[in-house]
Amino acid sequence: MTATPGTPGGRVTAGEGRQAAAGDAPARVELAAVPGLGALYARGVAASARLAALSRAGRAPSRLPDVEYVVHGVVADADRLTAYQHLLGETASDALPAGYVHVLAFPVATALMVAGDFPLPLAGMVHLANRVEQHRALRLGERLTVRARAQHLRPHRSGTQVDLVTEVGGEGADGVAGTDGVVWRGVSTYLAKGVRLATGGDDDAAASAPAPRREAFVAPTPTGRWTLAADAGRRYAAVSGDRNPIHLSALTARPLGFPRAIAHGMDTAARALAAVGPARGESFTWTAEFARAVLLPGTVTVRVAPDDGGSGYAYTGWDARSGTLHLSGTVVPS
Amino acid sequence: MTATPNPDHPAPAATGADRPGAPRRAVVVGGNRIPFARAGGPYARSSNGDMLTAALDGLVARFGLAGETIGEVAAGAVLKHSRDFNLTREAVLGSALAPQTPAYDVQQACATGMETVVGLSNKIRLGQIESAIAGGVDSTSDAPIAVSDPLRRALLDLSRARTPRQRLAAVARIRPAHLAPSAPTTGEPRTGLSMGEHQALTTAAWAITREAQDELAAASHHRLAAAYERGFFDDLMTPYRGLTRDANLRPDTSVEKLAALKPVFGRSLDTPATMTAGNSTPLSDGASTVLLASDAWAAERGLPVLASVVDAEAAAVDFVHGDEGLLMAGAYAVPRLLARTGMSLQDFDLVEIHEAFAATVLCNLAAWQDERFCTERLGLGAPLGSIDRDRLNVVGSSVAAGHPFAATGGRIVATLATLLAQKGTGSRGLISVCAAGGQAVAMILEAA
Repeated sequence: MTATPGTPGGRVTAGEGRQAAAGDAPARVELAAVPGLGALYARGVAASARLAALSRAGRAPSRLPDVEYVVHGVVADADRLTAYQHLLGETASDALPAGYVHVLAFPVATALMVAGDFPLPLAGMVHLANRVEQHRALRLGERLTVRARAQHLRPHRSGTQVDLVTEVGGEGADGVAGTDGVVWRGVSTYLAKGVRLATGGDDDAAASAPAPRREAFVAPTPTGRWTLAADAGRRYAAVSGDRNPIHLSALTARPLGFPRAIAHGMDTAARALAAVGPARGESFTWTAEFARAVLLPGTVTVRVAPDDGGSGYAYTGWDARSGTLHLSGTVVPS
Repeated sequence: MTATPNPDHPAPAATGADRPGAPRRAVVVGGNRIPFARAGGPYARSSNGDMLTAALDGLVARFGLAGETIGEVAAGAVLKHSRDFNLTREAVLGSALAPQTPAYDVQQACATGMETVVGLSNKIRLGQIESAIAGGVDSTSDAPIAVSDPLRRALLDLSRARTPRQRLAAVARIRPAHLAPSAPTTGEPRTGLSMGEHQALTTAAWAITREAQDELAAASHHRLAAAYERGFFDDLMTPYRGLTRDANLRPDTSVEKLAALKPVFGRSLDTPATMTAGNSTPLSDGASTVLLASDAWAAERGLPVLASVVDAEAAAVDFVHGDEGLLMAGAYAVPRLLARTGMSLQDFDLVEIHEAFAATVLCNLAAWQDERFCTERLGLGAPLGSIDRDRLNVVGSSVAAGHPFAATGGRIVATLATLLAQKGTGSRGLISVCAAGGQAVAMILEAA
C-alpha cells in the first residue's frame, strides 16, 4: 500500500484537499482495499495531535473536505461473518446483517476521518446516532462497492458534530455497479466534544442554543436482558475489526475518560436489530440513538416490541438499577 | 393475535373417538414413575438413561411386559448429553422389554412428555401400532456441561489437523479463559431472561398477588401429601435410590411459612416481587412413563383401561417481542382444543395445569376469566370462565412434586388417567403443560 500524504493508500482522481467550487464533482479517493482500523486508529491519534497543533497555530482546517472515498470489490469473509452473526444473536445465513455491512464499510469512512484535511480529531469522538437504510439484503459472495463521505458539519451544544455517510451497492461480475444502485446507506453521527470551529459549520444557532430538555426516561416493561461480560468490547472488536481502545479494557479506556471499557454502540444496536428478527424483512430503516454508554461488564435491560401506532419495531436499552437510558431506536420495514 | 380458528386444525364437534368413520381410540393403561428428587439429591449420580430405565422397568414389572415387544417407545430429556442421541432406544435395550422394541426421542422442552403421549396415541388411533410407552426424564444434577466455543473450535480443529504444525496452531489458540465450562441455564436464548423472570413479568401484568401464589403452593403440598397418605401413588411409582416419595414434598408447609420466604424473581420490576422459591418449582431429577394401547391389546392381556386420549393441541406465543407472556401458550391451546371438541372449561371433572410456578396457573385462570383477553386475544364472544379449585390439581402438582422437565407430562397423564378411572366412566379431564420457547401442549382425557 503506497500512502499518499493524508490518504491511506489512496489513489486520488480529483484535487485532493482542495475545496471544490460549487457544482464541481467531489474529489474521489480510490482505495485499493478496505483499510485496517487498527492502523487507522494509530493514524487517527497522530492526526488528532497534528490537528491540535495546527489549531493552536490557527491553521486547522475548518470545513469538511469535498471528497469521497471509494473501494471496489469488497467481499465479506465467511468466517468473520459467521463469528459476527453468532456474537450478535443473528442466524448465520448468507444474508449480511445490516450491522455487518456497517463493520465492513465503516473503515472507509474512518480513513476519511484520519486524513489531514479532516477538521475534527478522531480521538475521543463520540458516536451519537446511527441510521441505516437497507433496500435489500446484501449477500455473502457479492462484490460490493463502498463509498464514504462526510457531511453536515454543525455545531452541537458540547462541541461539533458531523455525519459520516457510507453507501454500499452490489457490483456486477465485471466490477461495474449493480443495477440496483445504493443498497445500503448508513449515516453515523459523531460528536467531537469541546471542538469549536471558526466557521461554525452549517448552523451557528445550535451551538448557543440551550440543551434540549430531554424527557425524563421512564422504563417500559422489559422483554429481555443483555448480559455483557467484561470482554464484550474485545469480542465485538474481534468480529468487527474495530479495536477502538475505549472498548478494549479499563486501562485503555481510562485515558479517554471512562473508568472501565464501554460497550460498542453498534454492538448494542445490532443486538436490538437481531432481537427484532425476521419480522424486519430485507428492506428496512434501522435507527439508533446512543445515550449513556454501557460500562463493561454490564447488564442492559431491553424492550424490543412493535412500535405503538407505528409500522415497525421500537427498542430501548436501559440500566434497570439506576433507570439510566443507554440507547433507543427503531426498525421499520420499508 | 387470535387463537381460533386455526386453519390447520379443522373442527369436528364430537368428543368420542368411537364415532363412525373416526379412528379407533387410544387408551392409557397405566403409568409408572420414580419419585422426583431435588437437584443434587439421591439421584445426583444417576444419568438420564439410568432413571428412564428405572421408570421403564417399573412399568414393565407392573404390567407384566417382560420380554414383550411394544409397538414403540418414545421419550426424551430437555437437558440431554449429545452422547444420548438414542436415549430412549438405549433405555429400552437396558430394560426388560424385548430388544425388538423400537424407540425414538422427542424434545419439546417441558412439554416433551406430553408430546410423546400425543404422537404415540395418534399412531395407535391410526392403527400403526397396538401398544406404546410414552415418557420423559431429566436430570439437573447430571446436566451436560459444554466447553466454551473457542475451546471447542480449537479441539475440533486439532482433531482435523494432519501435520504437527497444524496441531500446534490449534493448541496454541487455547487460552486459560476458554477452559471455563458453560452449563445449561433456564434462560431463554432470545431474550436472556430466565423462565422465572419471564413469569414475573406475566405475574405483574395480571396482578397476581403473593398471597394467592402461596395459597396455591401450600395446597399443592397438602394435596400431594394427602394423596400419598391414601396410597394413591402405590400403583404409579417405583422407589429408586432410597426415595419412596417426591423429595420436594413438604406436608407441613403452610401459607404462613411460605410467606416468610424472600422473593427471587421480578425484583427489578416497579411492582412488588411476589415469586419465591416456595411458590416456584425446584430444579429436579426424575423420570416417568405411561403405557398406551388399543382397547384390543389391553383386553388380550387382561390389562385395565384407565382413560382414552381424546384430543390434544399445541400452541405458541410471541414472548420475544412482549406480545404475550412466555408461559401463557396454554391459555391459547386450551380454547382451541375446546372449540374443536365442542366443550367448555366447566365440562371437566378434573383439570391439571402444570405448576411451572404457582403464578403460571393463576395467570392462565385469570386470562380465561378476563373478558378482554377472551374477546381480543382468543376471538371468543365471552370469557371462558372460572375453574372450580376443587377440580384443579387435586393431588398437587409440580410445585410440590418437583419438575424434572421432560418427566412432568408423563406424571400428569398417568395421574389424571388414574383419577378419572376412580371417578368413573365418562368423567373428563383437561391438561395444560407450558414449555420453554413460549409453547404449551393441552390434552383431553376421558375415563374409559
